[in-house]
Amino acid sequence: MERSKTYMNSYLAGMLIGLFMIAAYYFSGEGLGASGALKSVVVATVDVVNHDYAKEASFFAARVQNEENSPAKSWLIFEVLGVIAGAIISAAFAGRLKMEIIKGPNITNKKRLIFALIGGLLFGVGSQLGRGCTSGMVMSGMGVLSLSGFIGLMAIFGGGYVLAYFFRKLWI
Amino acid sequence: MEEIINVSGRAVPHIYPHLEIWGAPIALYLFFGGLAAGLLFFASFFYLKGKADTMPMTVKVAPIIAPIIIILGLMLLLYDLHHILYFWQLFLHFRIESPMSWGAWTLSVIMVPAILWPLSYLDDIIEYLKENKPNCKMTGLLSWANDLIAKLPLIPWVLEIFVKNRNLVAYFTIFLSIVLGVYTGILLSAFNARPLWNTAILGPLFLTSGVSTAAALLMWMSNNPKERTLYSKIDLMLIAIELFFIIHMFMGMLSSGVAQVEAAQLLLGGPFTVVFWVFIVGLGLVLPAILEIMELRGFHIPIAIPAFLILMGGLLFRFIMVYAGQASGFGIH
Repeated sequence: MERSKTYMNSYLAGMLIGLFMIAAYYFSGEGLGASGALKSVVVATVDVVNHDYAKEASFFAARVQNEENSPAKSWLIFEVLGVIAGAIISAAFAGRLKMEIIKGPNITNKKRLIFALIGGLLFGVGSQLGRGCTSGMVMSGMGVLSLSGFIGLMAIFGGGYVLAYFFRKLWI
Repeated sequence: MEEIINVSGRAVPHIYPHLEIWGAPIALYLFFGGLAAGLLFFASFFYLKGKADTMPMTVKVAPIIAPIIIILGLMLLLYDLHHILYFWQLFLHFRIESPMSWGAWTLSVIMVPAILWPLSYLDDIIEYLKENKPNCKMTGLLSWANDLIAKLPLIPWVLEIFVKNRNLVAYFTIFLSIVLGVYTGILLSAFNARPLWNTAILGPLFLTSGVSTAAALLMWMSNNPKERTLYSKIDLMLIAIELFFIIHMFMGMLSSGVAQVEAAQLLLGGPFTVVFWVFIVGLGLVLPAILEIMELRGFHIPIAIPAFLILMGGLLFRFIMVYAGQASGFGIH
């Protein structure tokens, strides 16, 4: 059955994200975030594999001292699971749910995946240096008028605009 | 002063306060057992319904997975045994009151149809693969096996008898597959010292879950839209039954003794709660159910998503039940 393939109005979607942010602060006491979920999974995994090391290493230490509170029980993990489940349902409703690799017309799938992996790694490292990613630092940060949120917004999107020129061949 | 020596029976490593003897191999074995039971059940059932030619994936092709995963499961089971070299002793006894004995014998007997069923359809499997998956590397291996079997002395004769009596075999396999599916749960529920396991509903619950994982796998592997829709409906029904059993498991436990209530608390506010409700009930039952309802209503859903979720949910369910069951007990505070 052919369904409408239109996307939601992006201003409306942005407003909705803002409302969800308020709900997130109200119910969980924390803002939205994405990289934090992955970080929690990494910390929890390292903690399971080698608890003594996790307790010593400064990147992990803060999250693993209290053995009652597993780092895997972070609300961000469940938020991200909910995002995935919700995205699947909403894409299905819009008739856009399918397996595909979205890429520029002149590169191979392999190249696209390799660059996506490199980009993801860089963003992961960057988000940890900046203590948050687009959602955790920029959106949640700006939501509480944190200066780092505004600087992060300019750095992430400004950096993207500047560097896009060098990687334009991947998309055109 | 007289000294009194207290000898406590409680200093038992790996047994008290928590049983710590069963791990991932057992959970995987129960998963493979349930999946194989479901595959054989559907193959026999739809053969008897006369669907061998309209549902070739179910009746002819997919059963080849069953003996492979049963053997994998049994290897995991052997790996888990403390005295591996004594395993054959199970096959010198039959104890009607022992689920392990039932399981050992059912697994041995079901191996006969599980191996002969796909062998008797080997020609059709090869043809199916050539038609639908021309690049499949298995085709060469299967053709080689097919030629080899034709040259062996006894096997073609056995297969001939098997094919002649396929109706009878199918009825027999349906019975055995249900016993196997129930056994994967009863194996746990026969532990009367672990209140989370010691409930009669575990047998039907594991059977339903195993059959539903098999339906998910068949739905995923089939390329026939009618077959897929059928399995979507079957899976929806099985998910509903599973949720019904899960609710009744908790109702039974919560209205029972303190030990049972505490066992239920492991999943209702204890250490296993989040994984159980989020991953098994949420992502393993409810989300695939929503996606399948949407699919039946005409939305396009890549079948791999609900199928994968159901299979993961089934696997995790066995892990949780094995671990949480060992953590439950009488007088553990």
